[in-house]
Amino acid sequence: SSSRKLRRKDWTKLIYSTSLSPEEILRDKPREESLGDEMDEDDFFQIKKGEAGDEEILDSSKDPLDAEELKRWEDEDMLESIRHLFITGEAGAEAE
Amino acid sequence: MVHVGSLVQFSGHQHLRQRLVLSILSGKHVRIDKIRSEDKNPGLRDFEISLLRLLEKVTNGTIIEISVTGTAILLKPGIISGGTVTHECPLSRAIGYYLEPIIMLAPFSKRPLQLTLKGITTDENDLSVDLLRTVTLPYLQPFGISDGLELRIKKRGAPPAGGGEVQFLCPIIKQVKTLNFVEPGKIKRIRGIAHAVRVNPQFSNRMIEASRSVLNRYIPDIYLYSDVYKGDESGKSPGYALSLLAESSTAAIHCAEAVSKAGVAPEDIGLEATRALIAEVNKGGCVDRKHQILVLLMMVLGSEDVGRCRMGEPTPRTIQFLRDVKNFFGTSFKVVAADPSDLECSHLLYSCYGTGYVNANRTLA
Repeated sequence: SSSRKLRRKDWTKLIYSTSLSPEEILRDKPREESLGDEMDEDDFFQIKKGEAGDEEILDSSKDPLDAEELKRWEDEDMLESIRHLFITGEAGAEAE
Repeated sequence: MVHVGSLVQFSGHQHLRQRLVLSILSGKHVRIDKIRSEDKNPGLRDFEISLLRLLEKVTNGTIIEISVTGTAILLKPGIISGGTVTHECPLSRAIGYYLEPIIMLAPFSKRPLQLTLKGITTDENDLSVDLLRTVTLPYLQPFGISDGLELRIKKRGAPPAGGGEVQFLCPIIKQVKTLNFVEPGKIKRIRGIAHAVRVNPQFSNRMIEASRSVLNRYIPDIYLYSDVYKGDESGKSPGYALSLLAESSTAAIHCAEAVSKAGVAPEDIGLEATRALIAEVNKGGCVDRKHQILVLLMMVLGSEDVGRCRMGEPTPRTIQFLRDVKNFFGTSFKVVAADPSDLECSHLLYSCYGTGYVNANRTLA
């Protein structure tokens, strides 16, 4: 069960109790060491600087299409792998 | 009636729309500085200034101060007045940019809003008017916002010259219902809108054929519609797009779209939209990624009870939104694994205690 804990992110804590940027939070490997309160203090000024940075970020709800993600779905086996998400797929009968 | 709200402060041009919306809904003043202050061309962009003007039009008593350099603004919100409003949207952003924040505010107006927006109806960057009509608006239904809610696409307008026009009609509500949406269900139908303006009208059918070649395998209930606009109704520039949505047995909706690009065949645009839809369906949950913020906002405004919703991982925008919400409303969400026993499942359960937001503007009439 300890390995399980490592895999799961503590989302509530990451969102509200750290000064990690949203992008840092979403990084695949959670950086356990940076969750501590001390680290927050150390990161404070650096993060603040990034936040007010002038890198133009589009304020939009629609993310650009991800070419790599789209490429994955050219594959027949990939397309077949999500049948269960449709009512006609296996184990889908009870949904209706 | 007017009380001096406390002040919330931010730096940077990012996340502007959600911060303005949260300020107006909470009644708290917002000050944003360092807006592109290091940029060669510092300050607010034309679309941001236009959005501020639009917010002035749909409210009453709002005071907006913009610094001389345009790098800082102070907004003291008035009441959301609604009524009949017309606005010309600069062509640097599509209508979706302006309409999304309006959709978040309009249900809390004094009078029902009838808003006419002119500009670009579909582009690469913002939600198209088709997705706003067929996906965004239905997402308001479980919150009790549905009767009289409508988006009419009068004219289409592709970039760069636009020429499109939509009319948004929104009813007013007194309170928001608590959401309890934890069953994603199974996809039971797929709908789509293809349109092609000032190009060969066959382009719509070519996008639809390509999309069907992938989607037909899954379910029979697929209806992809070719929306035809002619003459003046088709705007000033050529363009085409396919907007798709997949709806589940529990009314979860996922959507995607792809827009014409120079040198790309309609078939490839059709396939792009289709694969993007499948990727979105695969991410699952009850709410499409593009609509996380809208749903979470309505949960915050919900009646004083625990609202719950199952969604995928938050987008970076959503994470910032959750933090901003806490600044304005003091509300924080609990975000935990939806299915703790299944390590493969990345779905999360978002829950919060509603603020019991009451549309006070409505009773002032």
